[in-house]
Amino acid sequence: MSRVVVKTEGIAKIVPTAEGQLTILEGIDLEINAGESVAIVGASGSGKTTLLGILAGLDMPSSGSAWLGGVEITALDEEKRAKVRGEQVGFVFQTFQLLGSLTALENVMLPGELRGESGAEKDARDLLEKVGLAERFAHYPRQLSGGEQQRVAIARAFASRPNVLFADEPTGNLDSSTGHKVIELLFNLNKEYATTLILVTHDDRLAERCDRTIVLDAGRIVS
Amino acid sequence: MTPAMVLRLAWRDWRGGELGLLVIALMVAVGTVTAVSLFVDRLQQALLSESSTFLAADRYIGGSQEIPVEFRAAASERDIEMADTMSFPSMVFASDDRSQLVSVKAVSPGYPLRGVLRTADEPFTRGEPTTQLPQQGEVWLDSRLFPALGLSLGDRVEVGVAAFTVSRVLTQEPDRGGSMYDLGPRLLMRVEDVPATEVVQPGSRISYRLLLRGDDDALSELKDSLELKPCCWWRGIRESSPAIGSALARAESFLLLGGLLGVLLAGVAVALSANRYARRHYDHVGVLKTLGATPNQILFGYLLLLTVVGAVAAAFGLLIGAGLHLALVAILQSMIPVELPAPTMRPLALGAVTGMICVLAFALPPLLHLKNVSPMRVIRRDLGSAPPSQVLSYGAAIVGSLGLLIWYSGSLFLTFWTLVGTLSALLLFGLLANLLLRGGRVLGMQAGSGWRLALAGLQRRRRENTAQILIFGLAIMLLLILLLLRTALLDEWRNQVPDNAPNHFAMNITPDDVAEIGLMLDANAREQGGLYPMIRGRTVAVNGIDAKDWEEQHRPQRGEGPRLSSSRNLTWASEMPGENKLVAGDWWQPGDTRSMVSLEDDYAEDLGLSIGDVMTFDIAGQRVEAEVTNLRRLDWESMRPNFFIIFSPGALESFPATYMTSFYLEADQKRFLNELLGRFPTITVIEVDALIAQVKSIIDRVTQAVELVLGLVLASGCLVLIASIQASKDGRMSEHALIRTLGGSRKLITGSLAVEFATLGLFAGAVAVVGAEITVAILETQVFDLGVSFHPWLWLFGPLIGALIIFVVGMAGTRSLISSPPIMVLRGLN
Ligand SMILES: Nc1ncnc2c1ncn2[C@@H]1O[C@H](COP(=O)(O)OP(=O)(O)OP(=O)(O)O)[C@@H](O)[C@H]1O
Ligand SMILES: [Mg+2]
Repeated sequence: MSRVVVKTEGIAKIVPTAEGQLTILEGIDLEINAGESVAIVGASGSGKTTLLGILAGLDMPSSGSAWLGGVEITALDEEKRAKVRGEQVGFVFQTFQLLGSLTALENVMLPGELRGESGAEKDARDLLEKVGLAERFAHYPRQLSGGEQQRVAIARAFASRPNVLFADEPTGNLDSSTGHKVIELLFNLNKEYATTLILVTHDDRLAERCDRTIVLDAGRIVS
Repeated sequence: MTPAMVLRLAWRDWRGGELGLLVIALMVAVGTVTAVSLFVDRLQQALLSESSTFLAADRYIGGSQEIPVEFRAAASERDIEMADTMSFPSMVFASDDRSQLVSVKAVSPGYPLRGVLRTADEPFTRGEPTTQLPQQGEVWLDSRLFPALGLSLGDRVEVGVAAFTVSRVLTQEPDRGGSMYDLGPRLLMRVEDVPATEVVQPGSRISYRLLLRGDDDALSELKDSLELKPCCWWRGIRESSPAIGSALARAESFLLLGGLLGVLLAGVAVALSANRYARRHYDHVGVLKTLGATPNQILFGYLLLLTVVGAVAAAFGLLIGAGLHLALVAILQSMIPVELPAPTMRPLALGAVTGMICVLAFALPPLLHLKNVSPMRVIRRDLGSAPPSQVLSYGAAIVGSLGLLIWYSGSLFLTFWTLVGTLSALLLFGLLANLLLRGGRVLGMQAGSGWRLALAGLQRRRRENTAQILIFGLAIMLLLILLLLRTALLDEWRNQVPDNAPNHFAMNITPDDVAEIGLMLDANAREQGGLYPMIRGRTVAVNGIDAKDWEEQHRPQRGEGPRLSSSRNLTWASEMPGENKLVAGDWWQPGDTRSMVSLEDDYAEDLGLSIGDVMTFDIAGQRVEAEVTNLRRLDWESMRPNFFIIFSPGALESFPATYMTSFYLEADQKRFLNELLGRFPTITVIEVDALIAQVKSIIDRVTQAVELVLGLVLASGCLVLIASIQASKDGRMSEHALIRTLGGSRKLITGSLAVEFATLGLFAGAVAVVGAEITVAILETQVFDLGVSFHPWLWLFGPLIGALIIFVVGMAGTRSLISSPPIMVLRGLN
């Protein structure tokens, strides 16, 4: 049960700015096994979100390689990376990122529809029931509270049946008790679907619940 | 993404109001084009067919010999109706040996193919329309022949060696004539009777016409199939009546231009709303991509979506266009008494293709760009929204507009100038708008808080606002262009046939009668024109070369223009007649007794004559030499006496002359002619009132059409304004909602928005005025053959009106933003 699903070698991210080259990440080597839950922590601006983006295949590093589910995603073009994302990855974001013109149910159906599955709607209903929003199928994101929106987002993330779930400060926009409920939900579903969970957080309680913590400082892993 | 999924997404977008503006813009683009072109198409056909009454036919083949029988065979093969006319001058004798030179027209059954004859049983009345023709052995005579010959109905007259019964008074014939000097008093008879008169001898000057009536396509096919030259010529309304021809041509240009600007405006609206749609979908695409949608799937998805949306919008647009056009026709039924012919399919095709081109050229580029949105956008908003390729967007828009314009107007020239005007205006005014906005900041520093907020906002979004000023400016400019051109055209038309312009000419007045006739006219008619001496004469030599030889040398292929050696009416004058414009040389000084002559410009050019040439004339058997000292241009479209050749007083004063004058009579004053001609039987009166009335009625119709199209284009201009304000709403919304949450009062926001819109409008108006003045000046001179006119009032009112319009439309468009609680706005922004 120690299959490596996420791996990087010598990842660096350097962006050009008005003041010259800015190094955001440097020499990132890590391995994450299937079923593990990992928290990435660090001060604001230390490069957590940037790293997450690269691990998930949303962004490309300036140098180094990254593997996702055995595929070297840094060697793929955007077309193929998108396929890998569709098959392997789920996301939960700090700002929810639901589509405003779609209802809660339609948002959750989206991954299944994109893969052309026929059972997308039933799966989506089940998931929404699991996150406790059975009554809110037809509601639009703007009619939901922040916590409810995040629960829809979590349901959508699991609707893609991901091997790896990435979450960037999933509770950052929520009060602590709602945040707590969302965390419970996340871990429960994680266990149920046996996904690998990689999350970025400032919340110590959340980090403690993970199997492992990676600390970033100024773009380097310090522990 | 499967097609089914794309459709589902499209449906959800539509339900969420995301697609609304784009669909409406496309629908309006297709709808306006369809309605305008359906209407123009039918109106044009109607106007043309109404104008055809001037020919008494749709077209005719003219010749100085009998029209060949092959022509008739070819025409009847194509189901074209035919009728014959023959016109020639002849003497007519009354029983008491009084005689008069008349212009005989002999017609065959079927005449007139267009328009109607009117006859009366009393001279100088209006008469009744009739479908009859004179019976064989009968003639119908013009009113003025009755007093001149002392006739009444039922009397016998002789033409050549045959005698006829005068059975009716002919009061109106549709093809009364293009040239005024062809208007001798009319005698209408049957072609069948002509041989019996024996007036037609070899060498007689007879004008034969084969009148044609039929389908446009059949007619042009016929024209192409015939070997017309050298015996005959082909004529339509445009060639035979310059006044109507040019009014129609200009109206057509205007209607085309109007429709064309409508298309451009709609295109701008489509581009704007597609842009807004695309911008609002960056996040969508980012999320879809994190969920595994590949760039190609995104591309395919949005292409399909656009196709579906385009097809649906085009279908509804066509329906709306057709409906709108029917409504127009219904409303105008009272104004346009002409029967509108059935529309052709071209406008519908035009509408559908317009929809397609709008989609491809204006809506597609911003959507294409969506495929490049980076999925990182879901994490960091500023990523993955690099502006769409400018080359692609503008390139496609320009190519699309060009294609539409050329196809729509069928005129490269008009397209070229419209595009050049628009593009240079855009370039120049982008700069200007930017400068104006910079200047705005300085002002804002000393202003109250609403102002400061507004001007700061204008400043902050300078790029967007520059673009918006350009778009507002462009829309207002296009509307101003149409408005100014319309005014110029209407003025021109009104001048062409001014009210109370002389509508009768009296000729052959002997010097002894001048004074008495002058008194009679003063008492009974209005607006008496000038008095011109008239002397018959012909040119016999130029620079010592015989006139015939000169003509050989300078006009090798004999066209249909005036001939040098024919006998014509000469006049002399000390002052240049009004309406004439000197184009070369100088008019003679008073008191100069040298023998000089002034020529009409085209006449001189046709015959290779120039200033300094010495012309020799034969006048009453005497030789007169005169040097050409100046050239004039005449307004042939004006219904005034016009002379090719005018002498200086020194040259002709000594010759006996008769005089001509012109005067204006109301329809109910026409009996005065009876009195005049009874008293002075030798003078000739030419009535052009019917002709003038016809020209006027055509011009009135054309004017209405012009105004209508203007209205339609105005509507599509307003749509652009609304689309543009909608497109910029998101940015404004979030900003102002934020300000309100920060404690800004509703009044502050309202005030700030008001200032913002009014300022944008003011700048846009200024931009529009400059653009419109330049473009109109170019169009007036290059396309419409009008003089250049400038409009000082516009410089004041343009910006004010711009400010007012944008203010009103803008405030109406953002009312919801002000009245809804800010939380709704913020939540909706997601
Ligand atoms: N495209 C970019 N251009 C310039 N600077 C960037 C870019 N992306 C990230 N940065 C900078 O890199 C640093 C790391 O950013 P990142 O978002 O990864 O930090 P973070 O650890 O997620 O911070 P936070 O906890 O506040 O979310 C920041 O200083 C950020 O400003
Ligand atoms: Mg972050």
